[in-house]
Amino acid sequence: MRIPNPRRIFLYILLIFFAFVFLLPLWTDITTSFKSIHDIIYTIPVEPPLSPTIEPLITAFNIMERPLLNSLTFTAVATLFSCLLGSINGYALTKIRFRGANTMFLLFSIGIFLPYQAVLVPLVLTMSRLGLYNSIGGLILTHTTYGITITTLLFRNFYGLIPDSLIMAAKTDGAGTWTIYRRIILPLSLLPFVVVAVLQFTSIWNDFLFGVTLARGSEAMPASVALANLKGTTEVNWNVQMAGALWYALPVLIIYLVLGKYLIRGYMAGAIKG
Amino acid sequence: MVSITLENLTKMYGNTIAVKDVNLQIKDKEFFVFLGPSGCGKTTTLLAIAGLIKADAGEIWIGDELVTSAEKGIHKPPQERGIAMVFQDYAIYPHMTVFDNIAFPLTISKVKKDEIKERVKKTAELLGISQLLNRKPRQLSGGQRQRVALGRAIVRRPKVFLMDEPLANLDAKLRVQTRTELKKLQLELGVTTVYVTHDQVEAMTMADKIMVLRDGLVEQIGTPDDLYNHPSNTFVAGFIGSPEMNFIDCTLVEEREKLCLDAKEFKISLPAETFPKLKSYIGEEVIMGIRPEDIYESKSVKGTTQDNAVKMTLDLIEPVGPFLLLHLRAGRIPFVATVKQTRAKLGQEVVMEMDFDKIHIFDKKTAKAIL
Repeated sequence: MRIPNPRRIFLYILLIFFAFVFLLPLWTDITTSFKSIHDIIYTIPVEPPLSPTIEPLITAFNIMERPLLNSLTFTAVATLFSCLLGSINGYALTKIRFRGANTMFLLFSIGIFLPYQAVLVPLVLTMSRLGLYNSIGGLILTHTTYGITITTLLFRNFYGLIPDSLIMAAKTDGAGTWTIYRRIILPLSLLPFVVVAVLQFTSIWNDFLFGVTLARGSEAMPASVALANLKGTTEVNWNVQMAGALWYALPVLIIYLVLGKYLIRGYMAGAIKG
Repeated sequence: MVSITLENLTKMYGNTIAVKDVNLQIKDKEFFVFLGPSGCGKTTTLLAIAGLIKADAGEIWIGDELVTSAEKGIHKPPQERGIAMVFQDYAIYPHMTVFDNIAFPLTISKVKKDEIKERVKKTAELLGISQLLNRKPRQLSGGQRQRVALGRAIVRRPKVFLMDEPLANLDAKLRVQTRTELKKLQLELGVTTVYVTHDQVEAMTMADKIMVLRDGLVEQIGTPDDLYNHPSNTFVAGFIGSPEMNFIDCTLVEEREKLCLDAKEFKISLPAETFPKLKSYIGEEVIMGIRPEDIYESKSVKGTTQDNAVKMTLDLIEPVGPFLLLHLRAGRIPFVATVKQTRAKLGQEVVMEMDFDKIHIFDKKTAKAIL
């Protein structure tokens, strides 16, 4: 038998340890979600439930159903819009060298570093004037606008790798600005689309501040806010909270599982030039 | 009839001159090469003809149509100029099959499906890539990609081909082979072609006419023969021809009724008929230029008494196959000569003769040719 390299063994032990540390909270969340209040008192969090029950999951889902749907709706739409606009911006900034393109890009970049808190008051005022306060539409608009900055940056960097000669060739072939975008740029950016969309989806889904400011306690309440509301004021239902967290984590988890391989390929795309 | 005329074409990038005051006339069916080192403005000029960049001054005519005029504010978009372009990196669309790549210009201009099929098929046959039509570009070799790019250019039946170093990314053997094919294809199709390259061999072998550029300025326009035998300045003389022309700093002096080139280490007297052209330069510093093949071993035993003979020491012999490259030295002045054969040994003194008819004399101050 081949004797494994001791350094390799050490590396594996280290990796397993860190994986364990990272997975522990998820494990705790899962075990607690299946416990009754009785089990929570008589077992420590990492222990499996004595008599498993799906009661907490059902309770949490009943409370979270509407907010989860809200979140899914505005996250999906805002992700789509911010990616599409970011892609168009990135194309314009790299391949149509218009006057002031660099200044424009600088302004976009500043947007990335704009702290959320700084825009809250004007944001609420603007949204209520537009009649979009406490509405899904308002959340879509806010997240799309806020997302454009980062998506523009990411797409711009990717499109920088597409050789200009490709655009010039398409131009001499008779393609206009939009045809080039539709027939050349868009088909070439499927991978970055996946990467940027996953990033955007996660960040919009996880947002709490905009949600709580723009749609607290309304029909349009996002799941992140509803989850926070689960904690209650007089009693602490650990199991329902944990079950809620599980429901809340599910969509992002699924997305990462399904698109994981594209994500890694997308991250690598810049490294190897075709 | 598709001629191309450039008048005072100028393009700036910020404060840097990319090309300045280019004037030239490309005739119908001509294979015209822009030649020069990188950054000389050859590609810029090509892109201006293509309409992919805007000129800052000057006019461009394709046929009898004014397509660019900075003064009159005319700038026709590339697709309205009847041009097709081939790029150095081929610029074929990576997500499309070979068929779709070649068909792309036709689909854009909404040609009927049947006709597209027919034309793509014919083009692929012409280029010998019929069996590749369903492949994606990443499954193709460099040479095949190059053909696809060519196919995409041919399929539109353009009035003018514009080619930007289309062979530069091919390996040496394939480059020579494709060079010949490309030239044949151009003759067959009879399409006016503008071709950009930094490779003087490519330019000399393919071109009907060459424009040599340096730092955005036109150095010389002429046939390959003109450029080789009558370079108008030291730059063109040095750029064209391999091995490079020998340049020797000399002073033009008059001695015993004869004009002499005095290079300090040696002296050669020039034939009498050169006198009228050179007399105003007597006493001035000039540069003598002589191509390696115009220097040969003296057959006469008398040696240096001849007007055109110089005693040199043989430093090195490089066999190149069809000829030998002799590295010689007259005193401290190095010479390179190409000869068929030699009996001389390394370190020996040899008497070399220079072909008077092939001697070039340049003004040292302006680098322009006098003779």
